[in-house]
Amino acid sequence: MAIPIEAGESKKIEIGYVISGGLKENLHVRLTIPTQEVQEGSFIVIQSGGWKFYGIATDLQLGSNDPRFAEQDSTHFLPERLASLMRSQTLYSTMVVLPTLMLEVGPSQAEAYSAWIEKIGSGEKEEPWPMPVKTLPNHQAPAYLAAGEDIATIFGKPEQDGNFPIGNTREQEHAVCINLDKFIQRSSGIFGATGTGKSFLTRILLAGLIDRDKASVLVYDMHNEYGLDDTASDTGVNVIGLRTAFGRNKVQIVGLGAESDIRGSAPDFNLVFSTSDILPADIELLARELNLRETTSTTLDALVQSFGHSNWLQAFMDMKQGAMIEDMDGKKTPAPNSVAYWAMQSGVNTMAAEALHSKLQRLFNRKYIVQNPPSNSIGDIIEALKKGKHVVLSFGKYETDLDYLLVSNLLTRRIREAWEEMTNRFRSGKEAEPRPLVIAVEEAHKLLNREIASQTTFSTIAREMRKYYVTLLVIDQRPSQIYDEVMSQLGTRICGWLGDEDDIRAVLSGLAGREALRGMLARLQPKEEVLLLGWGVPMPILVRSRRYDGDFWKSIKKSRRQDFDRDAAIRNLSPD
Amino acid sequence: MSKIVIGRLLRANTRGCVAGCQIHQPLPAFGSMVAIPLSNTERAFGLISNLHIDDDGLVRQLAATRDIPEEIIQDNRLNRNVPVELSVLFIGYAFHEAISHLLPPRPPLSLDEMNSCTDEEICLFTGSGRFGYLRHILSVEEIPAADLLAAHFQQADRAQRLAGNAGWIDAAMQAVIQWARDDYPTLTTLLWACATLYAPQNRPEGGQ
Repeated sequence: MAIPIEAGESKKIEIGYVISGGLKENLHVRLTIPTQEVQEGSFIVIQSGGWKFYGIATDLQLGSNDPRFAEQDSTHFLPERLASLMRSQTLYSTMVVLPTLMLEVGPSQAEAYSAWIEKIGSGEKEEPWPMPVKTLPNHQAPAYLAAGEDIATIFGKPEQDGNFPIGNTREQEHAVCINLDKFIQRSSGIFGATGTGKSFLTRILLAGLIDRDKASVLVYDMHNEYGLDDTASDTGVNVIGLRTAFGRNKVQIVGLGAESDIRGSAPDFNLVFSTSDILPADIELLARELNLRETTSTTLDALVQSFGHSNWLQAFMDMKQGAMIEDMDGKKTPAPNSVAYWAMQSGVNTMAAEALHSKLQRLFNRKYIVQNPPSNSIGDIIEALKKGKHVVLSFGKYETDLDYLLVSNLLTRRIREAWEEMTNRFRSGKEAEPRPLVIAVEEAHKLLNREIASQTTFSTIAREMRKYYVTLLVIDQRPSQIYDEVMSQLGTRICGWLGDEDDIRAVLSGLAGREALRGMLARLQPKEEVLLLGWGVPMPILVRSRRYDGDFWKSIKKSRRQDFDRDAAIRNLSPD
Repeated sequence: MSKIVIGRLLRANTRGCVAGCQIHQPLPAFGSMVAIPLSNTERAFGLISNLHIDDDGLVRQLAATRDIPEEIIQDNRLNRNVPVELSVLFIGYAFHEAISHLLPPRPPLSLDEMNSCTDEEICLFTGSGRFGYLRHILSVEEIPAADLLAAHFQQADRAQRLAGNAGWIDAAMQAVIQWARDDYPTLTTLLWACATLYAPQNRPEGGQ
C-alpha cells in the first residue's frame, strides 16, 4: 500500500527508490508499493541532495532475485504467510523513469536552507528554475508520485495568467496547464487515430484561446463541427458550438458560397472568391485532385501571359471547348472563342490546353468562384480577425478535398500576406503590433503531405514560426503523411492514441527520449488520455483530458466572471 | 539468570563450546538457548547444536545382552562414566544487561556452569538489535543449520508470544529471507524447515 507522506500543502506518495540508471538509459526505480498502484505515464519526482528530478514513467518491469522464485508457486510447499514474506523479498517491480527536468530546492537542514534562501533573496544566487536534467540523483534516492505543487512548479497554476488547464494527472487528478502564450509562439499539432477525441480536444483548445483572448482564431471547419452545435456520433449528446458558447460578437461563422447554409442555419456571412483571386499556383496545387498533366504549368503560364494575372481564369472559363466554324471553303477551323484557337495563337499544345480546360470544369462549376463577387468577403474575414474576432469557415456542402485544398490555401495565402504587411509596418514603427493569429487546419495531411507541402502557404507558415504572427494548429490522424520538415517545426504536440508505427515515429520525431515514449502512445486510453510533448510543454506528460461538457463551460464562464473588474466598470460609468 | 544448571564446560573456543552433563533430568532440547557466565558481569549465549552420547566398554557389552534388568539400564544411564556432551554454538553475549550479537570476547573456562535460559532471557536476547545473531547460525557448515534455526525459532517464538509479541516470528523470517534471498536452494531449505512454525496448531491466535 502506498504510504502518503505529509509535505507542505499536499501529501507526497512515496513509491520506491532509485537503484540504477543514467542520463542515456533512464533511471530505474525499485517499487516499494504494489505494481498496480502506478501506471506507465505517471509523473514521478525523485528527491536527492537538494535537488528534485522530474520525470515520466515509461516502463514497468517484473524482476526476481532468482528466476525460480518467480517460476514456482511457493504456496505449493510453504504456508501462505511464509510464502507471502518470501515473495515480498524475492520478487519485485522496477519502474523506468525518463528524467527530464531538475530543480534545485535547497539543503534539507533548516540552518543551511535558511542561508540558501538568504543568498537567493540578496541576489547572490540566482533563483532556481526547472532546467533540463544534467546530473543524476543518488542511489536509493526516494521517488514519489508528483504532488500538486510539483505539477504547479512545472506546468504553472490554472489561475496564473496565460495558463489554461488541458487535463489532469491520472493518479491524483492535479490540473495540468498549457501556457497559451507559449502555445501560440509556434505551430502546434493535435494527433490521434480516428475516434480518439481530436475534435473535442480541438474545441477545448480553441475555447481556451478565444476565452483568454490570446490570439484570433480561424478554423477551417471541413465537416461543419465547430461553429454551431453538433451531436456526438457515439453518444448522441449535444456538443456546444463555439458560436453558441461565445456569441456572434466574438465568433463568426462564414459559409462557403453565396447561398450556403450550415445544416439549415444561415452563416453570418458568405465567402465568395473572385476569379481574379486565383493564381496559377493554386491550380497546380490541385494536380493530384484534378489529375493534371506535366504540361499544366506551361499552359497556365501562357494564359497569364495572354490575359494577365487578374483575368486569366475568367478568360479561360469563357472559352468554348471544341467550338468550330466553317471558313469560306467549308473547312472547319477552331472558333475564335475556342480553347483550340487560343492554343494555336499562343503556341501551346492544343490537346494539352483542351485537356486542362476540361479538367478545370469541376472548378468552373463551383458557385463560390464568380467573376464579380457581391462583396470583398476575404477582406471582411481579414478585418474581423484583425479586430480580435474569431472566424469559423464552414464548408457546408463543399466537402470534397478539391474544395478544401483550394479554399484553405487561397484564403490562408491572402491572410498571410495581410499579416506580413502588418508586421512590416509594425517593424517600421508605423503601426501597432499585429494580433497573433492561429489557423486551425483539420485533415492536415491533405495540405501538408510531402507531394504538395512545399507548394502551400501552410508549410511556409510552419517554417516561419511566428515571424509574421501567424501559426498553425494542425489536426490529423495520419501524422506520418505530413511533411517531415513541417512536423519538425511543430512546438506543442498533443497526442491521443496512435496504432500505426509510422505515425508514432512521426509524432515523436525530433524529440528527446522518443524511444522511451514510443510504447506509451500505443497504450493510451482512447478518448481519455493524451500525451503532451514538444517544445511548448516543459516536459512530456500524460494527462486525462478534460471533458467538453457542461462543467467545462461553467469553468470557462467562472473564469470570465473572475476576470471582470467590477470597480473599473463602475468607474467607467461615472463621469467623475 | 536461570539457575537450572544443565552441565559443566569440557572444552571451548571462540565460536562454541562443549559441556558435559549427566542424565538427572530430561536432556535439554536441540536448538534450545543456554547461557554461560564468563565473569561477574558477562555471560555468553548459545544454542545447543549437538547432543552426543558416547558409548563405553560396559554399554557395548550390555547392548548385546538379552533381558537387561531395568535397574541396570537406569544405572548405566544415570551413572555414566562418560558424560553426555552438549555442543553449543555461541550467538552473542551480555555485558550486564546490554545485549551484543557479536561472538563473546573470550570463551568460558573448564567446568563453568551452563544454564538453560528463561523465557525472559530469550525475549531479551532475541528482541535486541536486528537479528544480527542469525548469521552465526546461518553461516555454520558442520551442523544442519535449517533444523537448528527452526528449533531455535520454535522456542523463541513461544517465549515472544507469551510476552505479547506475536509479530516477532515474521520479523525473524524476514531477516532470514533477506540473508538468503540470493541463494535459492539455501532459502527454500530454510523455509521448508521453518514452515512448521506456521502450521495452524502452532499459531493458536488463528493467523498464519
